[in-house]
Amino acid sequence: MIDERMEIIGAEPVSTDCYRMTLQAHIGYADARPGQFVMVRIPDGLTPLLRRPFSIHRSRRLSASRTALEILYRVVGKGTRRLAGCRPGDRLDVLGPLGRGFSDPPASGPLFLAAGGMGVAPMVFLADRLCRDEKRRRDIRVFLGGRTAEELLCRDRFEELGLPVVLTTDDGSDGDQCLVTYPIEEQIRLIPPTMIYACGPPGMLSCIAGFADTYGIRVEVSIETLMACGLGACLACAVADRRDRQRYRHACLHGPVFDAREILLP
Amino acid sequence: MNDSPDLRVDIGGLVLKNPVMTASGTFGYGREFAELVDLQRLGAVVVKGLSLQPSMGNPPPRIAETACGMLNAIGLENVGVEAFVREKLPFLETLSVPVIVNIYGKTVEEYAELAGRLDSVEGVSAVEVNISCPNVKAGGVAFGVDPEAAYTVVREVRLRTARPLIVKLSPNVSDVTKIAEKAVDAGADALSLINTITGMAVDVERRRPKLANVTGGLSGPAVKPVALRMVWEVVKTVNVPVIGIGGIMTAEDALEFLITGAAAVEVGTANFVNPGATMDILDGIEAYLVKHGIEKVTDLIGTLEI
Repeated sequence: MIDERMEIIGAEPVSTDCYRMTLQAHIGYADARPGQFVMVRIPDGLTPLLRRPFSIHRSRRLSASRTALEILYRVVGKGTRRLAGCRPGDRLDVLGPLGRGFSDPPASGPLFLAAGGMGVAPMVFLADRLCRDEKRRRDIRVFLGGRTAEELLCRDRFEELGLPVVLTTDDGSDGDQCLVTYPIEEQIRLIPPTMIYACGPPGMLSCIAGFADTYGIRVEVSIETLMACGLGACLACAVADRRDRQRYRHACLHGPVFDAREILLP
Repeated sequence: MNDSPDLRVDIGGLVLKNPVMTASGTFGYGREFAELVDLQRLGAVVVKGLSLQPSMGNPPPRIAETACGMLNAIGLENVGVEAFVREKLPFLETLSVPVIVNIYGKTVEEYAELAGRLDSVEGVSAVEVNISCPNVKAGGVAFGVDPEAAYTVVREVRLRTARPLIVKLSPNVSDVTKIAEKAVDAGADALSLINTITGMAVDVERRRPKLANVTGGLSGPAVKPVALRMVWEVVKTVNVPVIGIGGIMTAEDALEFLITGAAAVEVGTANFVNPGATMDILDGIEAYLVKHGIEKVTDLIGTLEI
């Protein structure tokens, strides 16, 4: 893990309140795993005080010594609002790569990538990596859900990779008007996947975690929690352990990606 | 004059190579920061508060950010003393850095038993008794706000340990010097303060507290003036070393405490914001001493002019 002051080399809105930021990062990020995260803060200044966690959205090699590290975020509070005001050339303190990412997929069989809203952030990185194996590309199906068409982010990135994308919205403004979990369950019945990777709001993750039990499918979920350090010191990111009710797991160390059978989702 | 000033300080018989320590609960068991901090340079590592049995802590959400600070209600989640000795201490023992073990109990007997257990463990340099955690239902702060209860718990711990004994004080009292005096009467070799200040935050959309525990402890730059005032009150009252804690983010913050009379400092919340904060603070203290031609840090301590 590296604590580095990185230069912003790209900052662009992707919807009215969502932004994609590219940072010039240490080459160590070339080995980052999809699902891992970084802790980011604007240097100097005490408001906001704490770093904010962001999934790695994409990581590409720039040169022999540098990596382009992308994060995707929605403005939800003071921290992200200040971040949205940053421009190329500005610098950010970035600590990472942190946490446990997604596992390698089983050797064969269909793979589902399920993203709800901002949950798409780590899924682009995951799709990128999975598609490095040309043979696996045709096994992958992407399910993208959002409240409205505007919330369906990064569809183009999956399509660039040649992946089929199933869209759903709550208001029917794009794709089917339903929760993203409906087409996933439909597909499970047709062609059961050997692995589902999911990231999104708690309700969606609970539902997909249920598929692990109902259909006996391996499910990995990337969850979001409050955290102060990202290092296992503050212990803020407690997640209920499904098997052992006398202890908590911690999203920063044991996650943010968990086997759905390991944890109790809220 | 020698280029590198003498940074050594004596904390109740425990000599530290410099006055910069980590505050309990903000630095895990040290190893968490090994890739980011040259642990060997620390004055001491104060580990996450330990109880006799493992403790799972409070339900989430456990933190909330506030203006220039944070509230936490972790609830002293920890691995328990036996797992600490077995799994965490061996790594710390590979460092040539004193290990200060922070302990808490729900009863006087638990505190005493913990102190006794650790007294036989090589590699534990000192004990810091937490009588000031605002986030556990029983014990913790209950001992830290009542002078007689503080006296009792410190005396029982004193009887069970020969190690330097530091008592960590709560700011959630009307007169911190009363507790400080009792702790020293009971045998404390040093005092550390402040623990967090009880606070609260509300989510106005949900009309619910931001912390599952409703209240929590405030830390960070917001509390520093309060901490400094309390350290000043205590150093005037007792004649044991005082360790300053509270919102120390920079060398300048640490110097304020030293000048006020703290013999050393513990850096807490800053470790979350900047994992290398302790190193920056240490470098800054050294640079300050060089700049001002001060040969020993002890020549700076308590030089506040009123």
